[in-house]
Amino acid sequence: MNFLANKFPHDDFALLGIVLVLPLIGAFVNGVFGKRLGKQAVRMMALSAIGGSFIASVLTFLSLPAAEHGAHAVPKLKWVAWRWLDLNVTGRNIPIDVVFGADAMTATMMLVVTGVGFLIHLYSSEYMKADPGYYRFFAYLNLFIFSMLVLILGDSMPILFVGWEGVGLCSYLLIGFWFTEEKNASAGKKAFIANRIGDFGLLLAMALLAYYSSTLTFDGIKATAGNALLQDVKIWPLGNLPTEEIWHKQFAAGSIWPNWLVDFFLPDKPITAKVSTLVGFSVFLGCAGKSAQIPLYVWLPDAMAGPTPVSALIHAATMVTAGVYLVARMCDVFVLSPAAMAVVAITGALTAVFAASMGFFQRDLKKVLAYSTVSQLGFMFMGVGVGAFTAGFFHVFTHAFFKACLFLGAGSVIHAMHARIHDTDQSQDMWNMGGLRKYMPITHVTYLVSCLSIAGTPLLFAGFWSKDEILWKAYSSEVAGPQGRVPPADLGFVDLLKSPQYMWQWPSWLGPTIYWVGIIGATMTAFYMFRSYFVTFWGEFRGWKIVPGYIDPHPHHADEDLDEAGHGTTDVDHHAPTKKHPHGHVDEPSMAHKSASHDDEHDDHAHDDHRGHEPIVPGEIDGPIPHESPLPMTVPLMILGAMAILAGFLGAEPIHVAPLIHKLEPIFEHATKLVVARDGIDPHGGTMWMMMVPGVAAMVVGSGAAYWAYHLQKGEPEFSFKRSMPGLYNLIYDKWRIDELYDATVIGMVDALADIFTMADKWIVDGVIARLTGMLAQGIGAVLRVFHTGRVQIYAASMVVGLLGMGWFFVQPHAHVVVDDEELRSTGKVVATASPGLGYSYAWSGEGLQPSKSDRVEFVVDQGKTREVVVTVRNVFGREAQAKVTVTRPAARPGPGQQPIMLQPLPQQGALTPPSGDAPPDQKPMKLEGNQVGGLLRGEVGQ
Amino acid sequence: MNAVPLEYFLTVAGVLFTIGAIGFLLRRNLLVLLMSIELMLNAVNLTLVAFNRIHPQNHAGQIFAFFIIVVAAAEAAIGLAIVLSFFRVRKTVRSDDADLLRN
Repeated sequence: MNFLANKFPHDDFALLGIVLVLPLIGAFVNGVFGKRLGKQAVRMMALSAIGGSFIASVLTFLSLPAAEHGAHAVPKLKWVAWRWLDLNVTGRNIPIDVVFGADAMTATMMLVVTGVGFLIHLYSSEYMKADPGYYRFFAYLNLFIFSMLVLILGDSMPILFVGWEGVGLCSYLLIGFWFTEEKNASAGKKAFIANRIGDFGLLLAMALLAYYSSTLTFDGIKATAGNALLQDVKIWPLGNLPTEEIWHKQFAAGSIWPNWLVDFFLPDKPITAKVSTLVGFSVFLGCAGKSAQIPLYVWLPDAMAGPTPVSALIHAATMVTAGVYLVARMCDVFVLSPAAMAVVAITGALTAVFAASMGFFQRDLKKVLAYSTVSQLGFMFMGVGVGAFTAGFFHVFTHAFFKACLFLGAGSVIHAMHARIHDTDQSQDMWNMGGLRKYMPITHVTYLVSCLSIAGTPLLFAGFWSKDEILWKAYSSEVAGPQGRVPPADLGFVDLLKSPQYMWQWPSWLGPTIYWVGIIGATMTAFYMFRSYFVTFWGEFRGWKIVPGYIDPHPHHADEDLDEAGHGTTDVDHHAPTKKHPHGHVDEPSMAHKSASHDDEHDDHAHDDHRGHEPIVPGEIDGPIPHESPLPMTVPLMILGAMAILAGFLGAEPIHVAPLIHKLEPIFEHATKLVVARDGIDPHGGTMWMMMVPGVAAMVVGSGAAYWAYHLQKGEPEFSFKRSMPGLYNLIYDKWRIDELYDATVIGMVDALADIFTMADKWIVDGVIARLTGMLAQGIGAVLRVFHTGRVQIYAASMVVGLLGMGWFFVQPHAHVVVDDEELRSTGKVVATASPGLGYSYAWSGEGLQPSKSDRVEFVVDQGKTREVVVTVRNVFGREAQAKVTVTRPAARPGPGQQPIMLQPLPQQGALTPPSGDAPPDQKPMKLEGNQVGGLLRGEVGQ
Repeated sequence: MNAVPLEYFLTVAGVLFTIGAIGFLLRRNLLVLLMSIELMLNAVNLTLVAFNRIHPQNHAGQIFAFFIIVVAAAEAAIGLAIVLSFFRVRKTVRSDDADLLRN
C-alpha cells in the first residue's frame, strides 16, 4: 500500500489510466488480430485484460483516501491525462481536460463494472464457444468495458459523454451481434436511436452548464451550482405572440376553458425557470434514454436480441445504470430544483409499476428479466429522485449482482434448451421449460437466490436492504430545494411558473404516494419473478416435444393446455413444427440436431458435449436431455449468487451494518442538506421498522400469489384469465401496445417525412437536376464528338492552329494599366502601373507629367479635377499599343453644418455622388467610379 | 568565330521545322510521321545550338539539345514499338486505319 501511495499520489493517480487502457488493448488486439489468434488466445486476451483491470480497480478502491469529517472536499483520486480543447463560450475560456477521477461512488462502480464484467467474460467464453464471431464478441465486450470505465471515471461532463456515447455504440454493436437476422439488426438500431433522443438532452445540459456555470467539471459544477444555477431563464414557449390576450378577448365570456389552462398552454409572457431546473430536465432526458425510463424505455426489451451475456452485462448490470449514476453524480444540481427531482422520482415510480405490469404474462424468459430491469431502474430513479442518493446508488450496486445472476441463469437455461431446439423463440419460451431444477441444480439455486433478492426477501437478501431503503426514504423525506420547504400557499401552479421569486415545492402527499406506488411495484416484481422461477424450474419438463419429428406418446397430455395458452410464438418456428411431420420421426438425436440448426448461422451454444450422458428413454425423451452448464458458466453464477446475499450487508442501514454507505455519504453530504424529513417523521425512529411491513408484505403477497398460481395450480389461473379476458391479457402481453402507439405517432410522422423526402429525391433531385446535368453533359459531348475523329493528323493540325494563335497574341503588344487610388480622396495621389510583358518598354505621357520609362508612374490629382495619363507600350518587334487612364477626384465634401449629407432613398441615385465631382460618365473608367461611390459611403458611415 | 550569322541557322531550322510539320500533317504513313517528328526535333536542336553559339556563357542550349536527343531516341523507340504492334493488329501502317476506338 505504501508503495502504491508513493507511486500514485492522489492528485496524479495514473493507475486509473491502467484500469482504462487494459480493456482498450484487449479490444484492439481481439478486434484486429482476433481472427488469426484463435479462440483460446482471444479468450486469454479478453479475460486477462478485464482481470487486470479488476485488480487495478481493487487497488484503486483500497487507495481511496479516508473521508475527513467536516472537510469540504470529497476524497478523490485524480488523473489529468491531457488538455483536450479550449471551449470559448461568450468570451470566457473553458478548458476541457481529459481528466479522470475516482471517489467512493466511482470506485464502487469500477469494482462492479470490472468485477461483474470479468465474471460475464468468463461465462461468455463458454457460452459463445461455438460462435464464429467469437473474437468480434470479445472485442466489443472489452470495448464496452473501456467505454463504461470512461463514463464512470470521467471527471467532467464531456469525458463522461465520450464514455456515454461509447457504451451506446457497444450496446448497438452487441444487440445487433447476430446482424444477419433483420430482427436483431433493427433492435440494435432502435436502441441506438432511442438513446440519441436522450443524448440530445445531455448535450443541451452541457451547453447550459457551459453557459451558466462556465465549467464542465463535476467539482466545478458543484462549486458554482449554488450561485450560477439559481439564475432565472426566461422561456417563450410560443414565441412572444400575444396568444393569451387574443384568446381571452375572443372568448371573454362563456369560454369553456378555465383561464389557468389557457394561461398554461398559450402563455404570452415568458415562463421563468431556474437554470437548475432546465439542466435537471435535460440531464434526466439523457438518463431516461440510457436507463430506459418512460417514455424512452422501449429499446431495452428489444435489446434482448443480443447474446444473453450481453443482456446481463450491458442491459442489466452496468450500462443501463449509467443514468442513475449520472443523476447521483449531478446531485448538487438536481437538489436545487425540486421540480426536476419530482420529475425524476415520479418517472421512476411510474416506470417501476408500468414495466412490472408488462412483465406479467411474457413467455420469453429474457423478456421477463428485461421488464424487471426496466422496473428496477425505475426503483433506482425513485431513490435518487426523492433525494436518497446513497440508497438509489446502493440499489444500482445490489441490482448489478442479482440481475446479472438472473440473466446468466437464464442464459444457462437457454443454453440447456438450445440442446433440444436451436431456435431463439422456442428455447427462450418458459412454457417449453419446467422442472429444470432436477437437471440444473446450480442454476436453479442461484436463480432462486437472486429471485429472493430482487423480490426483497427480508433481512438476508441484498435486494431487500437497498429497496427498503429507497422506499423508506421516499416515505420519510422530501426535497426542500434551496428556498426551504414551506411553499407559498396562495400561489397556483401557473403563478409559480411565472413568478421568478418562488420555486415549485413538493406537495406533502407526493412522498407517500411514491412510497405506495413503490410498494405496488415491489409486489408485482415479486409476483412475476417467482412466476418465471416456478414456470422454469418446477413442475414437469415440457420441452420434450420441441425437437423436430417428436411424436406425442400421450396425445391428451396436460401440455395441451399450455400449448393452447400459448400466444402463437410456437407457430413461428417454421423448421421444427411440433406435430406437422409425423412421418419425419428421427430417433437419432444428432440427426434431429442437424435438421434443427440447418439454417441457423449463429451457432453460439456449445452443445457438443451433452449427448449420451444420461440414458434416453425411448418414446418419452427425444433428443438430448437438458443438462447443467459447464464450470466456466456455473462459477460466475455461484459468485454472483453469493453476492446477491452478501452485497446487502455493505449497506444494511437499519441494522447499522453499512460500510459502503458510509463511504458514499460524503459525496452526497452537500446535496442532501436540501433534502429534509417530512413533517412529523423522525428519520431514525421506529416508523422506519413499521414502514418496512408493507414492503415485506409486498414480497410475501407477490411471491405467494406466484406460488399459488404457478406451482400449486400449474399456471391455470393465467390460462383462465386469458380465456375470460383475452383482450386485456393480450394488451398486457403486447406491452400495452406502446410500441404500436409509437409506430403510429412518432415513427409514422418520421416515416411520412421520409416518404416526402424520398419523393423529392426521386422526382426533383433524380428527375430534374440529375437529368438536366446529364443532358448538359450529353449535349456538350455531342458537339465535341464531332471533333473527335480519331485521326492523328487532325489533332496535330488543330494544335498547330492553336500554336499559331498564341504566337500571334505574343507578337502583339498589350497595354493594360492597374490604377491604385487608395489615397485619391485624402491626398489625391494616384499610382498607375502598366502590366509587364516580354521585352516591353514603356513611355508615359500626360499633362504636367514627367516623361518616364518605368512601368510605374505617380501623379497627384487636385480636388474636383480630372487628369488623363497615356502610356505607350512597345515590344521587341517594334509594335506599339496605347492605354489611357482618366482619374477624377471629387470636390471636398461640404461641412456637416452647411449641408447635411443623408442617404436618400432611391430613386435619387445622384445623391450618392457629390455634384461638383461629376464628370461625364463616359469619360470615367467604371472601376474608378465604383471606388468613388464606395469611398463616399465609407465616409458617411464614419460620420 | 562568328563566320556564319545566326539568321542562317534560324532560316535552315525554320525550313526544316516547316518541312517536318507539313510532312506530319499531310503524310499518312506512320513511319514517315515518326521521321517528320525527328525532323522537327532536330530543327529545334539546331536552333538551340545556334543560340548557344552567340550566348556561350552557360551552354544551356547545348544541354537542352542533348536532352532533346535523348528524349527523341526514347520517343523513336516507343513510337516504333507502337507502330510495330499496330502493324500486327491491322496489317498496315496507315495512320487513318488506327480507328478501332472510334464510335
